[in-house]
Amino acid sequence: MKLDKPNQRLDMMNQGQKVQVVKIHTTGKLMHKLLDMGFVNGSDIEVIREAPLFDPMELKIHNYNISLRKSEASLIEVITL
Amino acid sequence: MTNIKVALAGQPNCGKSTIFNMVSGIEQHIANYPGVTVDKKIGFFKYDNNKIEMVDLPGTYSFSSYSLEERVSKEFIIDEHPDVIVNVVDASNIKRNLYLTFQLLEIGMPVVVVLNMMDVAKRRGIDIDSQKISKMLSCPVVEASGAKGIGGDEIMKAIVDTANAKNIYEEFKINYEELEPHIQVIEKTIKDSTSTLNKRWMAIKVLEGDTTIIQHLKQEYFDIEELAKEQVDKFHSIYDKDSVSFLATFRYDSADIIYHKTVKENNKGKETLTDKADKIILNRFLALPILFAIMFLVYELSIVYGYKLTDYTWPILAAFKNFVIDMMPQANFTEVPMMTDFAIWMVNSANALANYIPIFFILFALIAIMEDVGYMPRMAFILDRIFKKFGLHGQSTLPLVLGGAMVGGCAVPGVMATKGIADDRARMATILTVPYMNCLAKVPFYTLLLGAFFKPDMALMMFFISTVTVFIALIVAKILTTTILKTRETAPFVMELPPYHLPTFKGVIIRASQRVWVYIYKVITIVLAVAIILFAMLQFPGLSEDSKIEYELQSQKALQTFDIKAQKSSYYPLVDTKEEISDLLNYYDGYKSKRMATTSKEGALAVDETYKNINENYFKFIKPRRDKEAKKINKILRKLSKVRNKILRNMKNEKVENSLLGMAGKAVEPITQYAGFDWKINVAFLSSFAARESAVATLGSLYENNKADDMRAEEAMEKNSGYTPLHATAIIIFMLLTPPCIATMIVVKMQTYSYRWMLFAIFFPVTLGVIISSSVFTLGTIYSISGVDAMIYFYVTIVFIALVLGLYPDKNINWKGGLKLPTKSKGQYNIFDKNLRKEEN
Repeated sequence: MKLDKPNQRLDMMNQGQKVQVVKIHTTGKLMHKLLDMGFVNGSDIEVIREAPLFDPMELKIHNYNISLRKSEASLIEVITL
Repeated sequence: MTNIKVALAGQPNCGKSTIFNMVSGIEQHIANYPGVTVDKKIGFFKYDNNKIEMVDLPGTYSFSSYSLEERVSKEFIIDEHPDVIVNVVDASNIKRNLYLTFQLLEIGMPVVVVLNMMDVAKRRGIDIDSQKISKMLSCPVVEASGAKGIGGDEIMKAIVDTANAKNIYEEFKINYEELEPHIQVIEKTIKDSTSTLNKRWMAIKVLEGDTTIIQHLKQEYFDIEELAKEQVDKFHSIYDKDSVSFLATFRYDSADIIYHKTVKENNKGKETLTDKADKIILNRFLALPILFAIMFLVYELSIVYGYKLTDYTWPILAAFKNFVIDMMPQANFTEVPMMTDFAIWMVNSANALANYIPIFFILFALIAIMEDVGYMPRMAFILDRIFKKFGLHGQSTLPLVLGGAMVGGCAVPGVMATKGIADDRARMATILTVPYMNCLAKVPFYTLLLGAFFKPDMALMMFFISTVTVFIALIVAKILTTTILKTRETAPFVMELPPYHLPTFKGVIIRASQRVWVYIYKVITIVLAVAIILFAMLQFPGLSEDSKIEYELQSQKALQTFDIKAQKSSYYPLVDTKEEISDLLNYYDGYKSKRMATTSKEGALAVDETYKNINENYFKFIKPRRDKEAKKINKILRKLSKVRNKILRNMKNEKVENSLLGMAGKAVEPITQYAGFDWKINVAFLSSFAARESAVATLGSLYENNKADDMRAEEAMEKNSGYTPLHATAIIIFMLLTPPCIATMIVVKMQTYSYRWMLFAIFFPVTLGVIISSSVFTLGTIYSISGVDAMIYFYVTIVFIALVLGLYPDKNINWKGGLKLPTKSKGQYNIFDKNLRKEEN
């Protein structure tokens, strides 16, 4: 991990960027769901694309594709690789 | 013989259903959309002198208790104690799948891992050392490919061997390091529990806050929840870690270890076919055009071409009708036996529906293809932003499509598919809006009206009908979610986009046939049952004595006229009694309808031949050729037939008007007159609530002649109803808004767990329908707008309202301040926070 880079929010990442999960700022149902889908600390994420209408975003994590709304992605703290 | 109970578990899209079909031989619904398999599916079969009971659990990513599917699965494990758990793993997506595998192993029951889709993995250059996995997890691992039918026998062998070796099974344990002492505390507390479940597993689940297990233990340890909280807090204070997140991370790390030691990806980083396809299909500029093109194609292929197909299938149905009528007792001039009337009524009801089977088959096949290919979640991805705006969810796409967002569907499976939506508010809104979609049973009704009144504009009108429902649904959803559903809980949108798969021809055909069969089955049971009741309600109380005498006199007169004229012919002795005349009339009608049912010249000659054989003299009257004396009879016979049909129609209309159903239809006329509905339409609407299919059947029967002829319902309606296209537009708009059928309402009740929502789902749309169709008809009459124009105005208004609501900013942003991070997409960050706060409370 490079410590000189500031942590950022997943929803602000652009297409093609590769990031790593640092922390998830949520609880309850959403926390569980994100963990189950593999958003655990240290996992690598690649931003594949935004939906045509800009909102949900498509990500690649653990070698499969998933879509998240930006409102949910904004709760995931990441660092760029 | 031993009984072995097997639970089949796996993540969505791992091909679990194909494995289930392969080993148990039972076909079922398979789709590529997360969460379609919600029902419990059981297969009973024998293998090697063992009786196997296999239960296909719903696909879940995890084994916690946060979704309905997970709770269903866990309850099955708790209540039924399977001997073996078979875990289907997608070999091409092994890491995430192993996350579930670890949770299943922890349950403390023997597990057999099935590496499915080995062929896909091989194609993608993924090498898997399954023996090594087997060693590392100390459980059997079987390589298979459900789609190719490979590995079925090996799976069964592994199941039987594992079940037989049950007594030497050693408990599977993960060493959770820092968390271990806390697990131990809970385990010690519950060590005397009478539960037969694995204590350690329960302890871990309790620390995860699993509600199902906590409930299970609460009977014996009422303070278990507090105890768990205490341990979780302690763990948090020592390590600054959240136990839930810790456990998930630990399991993913374990899965990662297996992945790194046993899997070699030769093409890592290379673009897969799915990646390439998505570059086009989900492209910012192409995605929406492609989506609409696909929807249009589905519409063209099913409705337009399907309708053309009915030109070929209709003669078959007409022949069936003639066959049934031939079996029934013959009419004696205007005295038609009730039995014959009833048979004609039932066949008409059945035929009106059966006529649309080709359309349904094509439509269901196309939907099955889209499901199997994996396009459904992509649709949700593309459209979520719009749906979200109206309080729905991207996952509302599937229920809405099944309900008929694309041309036609059925609200029953549509409403049932809402089970998969985690967001409660969106789920409720979807349940209540799916019934607005184009019910397939309504499609015949539309095509009937369109065929009768909008022949040249049929495609345009059908386009309006099939697309306006979506806008109506969006408006209704927005209204509901901002009013009565406002306080409902919301949930995240986290959805897998699975790789594309080629659908198998067999799978698609089987599923399409199954769905068509469901339709036919529904027709047979509900509609025919309703048809019987309706027949009774239309027959009772029947004609008054005065009318009977009046019609009898008319008949006598017609017969007398015939008799006088017939005397001029030398064939008079053949037709000088009433019996002979009605015989001849029946012969004439029978011939006419059979001739019209055949289209080929050979067929026509064959019919001629048959009728010549039945009665050579009568045939002369029907085809007199050069026989002058026979020609005389032919002329008056045709006249008599016309008069007779007129009397029969008048009798029938009077009978219906006086009937119980007619009275009910008339009773609501004061309200419906503003929409231009006369009592006949009211009767059709009233009678069709049991199943919309019977709207066509009722109207068809009301407007059709009583006798066997080849006239389609469309032609009959156009000729006999006296409506204008504006009437038809008002009727169509009302039909668009009314809920489909009783079956749908029952499903709504099941999904909302409340009769009050069911009643709401009935009365809200009906009221809305009366108001809107009345306004359209009244305004249309005042400004003398044509039917098509009225539809265009209606359509534009609805689309406009939907757009305004969609562009209207979200109300949720009603606070400011807090931590200011630079935002790329304004507002959304806050919306979610608010929902979270609600969840925490």
